[in-house]
Amino acid sequence: MRPSSLQPSLSVDIGPLSLRNPVMTASGTFGYGEEYAPFVDLNRLGALIVKGLSLEPRAGNPPPRLAETPSGLLNAVGLQNIGVKAFVKEKLPFLKEYSTAIIANIFGETVDEYGKVAEILGMADGLSALEVNISCPNVKKGGIAFGSSPEMAAEVTKRVREATDLPMIMKLSPNVTDISHIAESVESAGADAVSLINTLAGMAVDVEHRKPVLYNVTGGLSGPAIKPVALRMVWQVVNRVNIPVIGLGGIMCPNDALEFLIVGARAVEVGTASFLNPHATMNILEGIETYLREHSISDIGDLIGTLERP
Amino acid sequence: MHPVPLFIKGRILDNLEAVRGHFLLRLKLPPAFHHPVPGQFVMIRVTESQTPLLARPMSIYAFEKGAGHSVLEIFYRVAGAGTRILSGLKPGDELSLLGPLGNGFSGNQEARRAILIAGGIGISPLTFLAASLSPIREPFPVEMTAYVGAQRKEALAGLDRLSAVCPDIRICTDDGSMGYGGRVTELFERELDAFDPQGCAVYACGPRAMMKRLAELLEKHPLPCQVSVEERMACGLGACLGCAVAVRTPGGDVAFMRACKDGPVFDIRRIDW
Repeated sequence: MRPSSLQPSLSVDIGPLSLRNPVMTASGTFGYGEEYAPFVDLNRLGALIVKGLSLEPRAGNPPPRLAETPSGLLNAVGLQNIGVKAFVKEKLPFLKEYSTAIIANIFGETVDEYGKVAEILGMADGLSALEVNISCPNVKKGGIAFGSSPEMAAEVTKRVREATDLPMIMKLSPNVTDISHIAESVESAGADAVSLINTLAGMAVDVEHRKPVLYNVTGGLSGPAIKPVALRMVWQVVNRVNIPVIGLGGIMCPNDALEFLIVGARAVEVGTASFLNPHATMNILEGIETYLREHSISDIGDLIGTLERP
Repeated sequence: MHPVPLFIKGRILDNLEAVRGHFLLRLKLPPAFHHPVPGQFVMIRVTESQTPLLARPMSIYAFEKGAGHSVLEIFYRVAGAGTRILSGLKPGDELSLLGPLGNGFSGNQEARRAILIAGGIGISPLTFLAASLSPIREPFPVEMTAYVGAQRKEALAGLDRLSAVCPDIRICTDDGSMGYGGRVTELFERELDAFDPQGCAVYACGPRAMMKRLAELLEKHPLPCQVSVEERMACGLGACLGCAVAVRTPGGDVAFMRACKDGPVFDIRRIDW
């Protein structure tokens, strides 16, 4: 095969949402965009997903919030955020100036809170979609995560669907017995797409003091350590639902992103990698382009979901 | 206020053990790297492999802008897996580095006397501060007094460099093997009333327990004091929210600020110790 000199087409559709390329930023790893603007031309991103937003501002957990594990990062930030109203007033005007799709990640402690946050964002100008984090605990159901039951996940999906016409991506938790079951449930409830995986629940212990490393005791694991698990789950879900799937979990380099695309993810989110290298999203985008050129693939759509049998 | 930080490669000039377990790393950087303010830091990746995964926040010890390149110095203590790998790197090796980051010490224009309080490796950013305070005030240089503490004589590090710019150093060792026998905050407490709060400023960096004790000593005292804090950190840019520092809000509540972006230098009275 001779490498093509033509610029391959990188644009992808996530349901009603059209992106210029499949490289997105994962929520909670890219702030509200401004933190990385000195390093990344935000106009080159496929989409920018901001830090998770709740109805009211949240202080988050006391430190320590981070623990490093082999090839991984445990975090227990506790969903600290400025609240949806401050986001619309203080952060969205800056983001609106960019031509990139801006996606707000949202969460709530009750089904109704999800709805209220979605309503406020639905009326704001400048957003392309919502990504709904259902990994947080439902305070009305004894703190069980919304995303751990197909019924609760569907309930949140329906409530957000009623609240806004914005395209809606449900972000799935891997801390479940069968993630594809949850994916089917949110698909039936009206989700436009799913993204997976959120962090894997984990913990670390300081053996000298016999104490948990994290103040919160448990945290969410991200980074290269979780990539094989994420990839397997994306592959499973792709084979079970008809809506687009966005893959994330430990994507550090172009090769990692390509693996997700080949198993069928329509787009990828880059998270922890940006912490180690603020240019990570652009390196991954450029690497995908190089791969397409080297393999004479003129449209990224011809790569997505092309996993061969073993 | 914030010059744009850069993510660049630095080449190691030397990486030598100065005192047992304490290394002086000198890095050659491209000229585009901005001149840091004392108290600012850099994120250093000690390896391009995935263990350890994260970059390490390191205070800046010294900086010199030369023709065609700059030299950045980091004085560090081997404390864990990351610094152990760092201590094994050789001249000529390359490192990825992000910086300069954070808010440094703000110079108090009125202050005629600076009191530096250093515990352990906390001497690093205070040495950079002392070096920057001494020449700029000619012909009215700032008078400086430094309290330097360590567990024992053998652990005292960085005294040569500091004494070159600050002749008045008061050494404290927990075991009494050199200087005052006891904590650095004990000696400072004894001498506190000898300082005129007018025109005097305190700058501190050290273990959390030292800074907490200092906060108690200064609670009812008018001396202004800035501290440089340390927290676990992933990005250094204010995005990960990992490096939370509890501060008191004007309303009396506790809020979390970011050591990397809102700090690492804070007014000691702002922090909820």
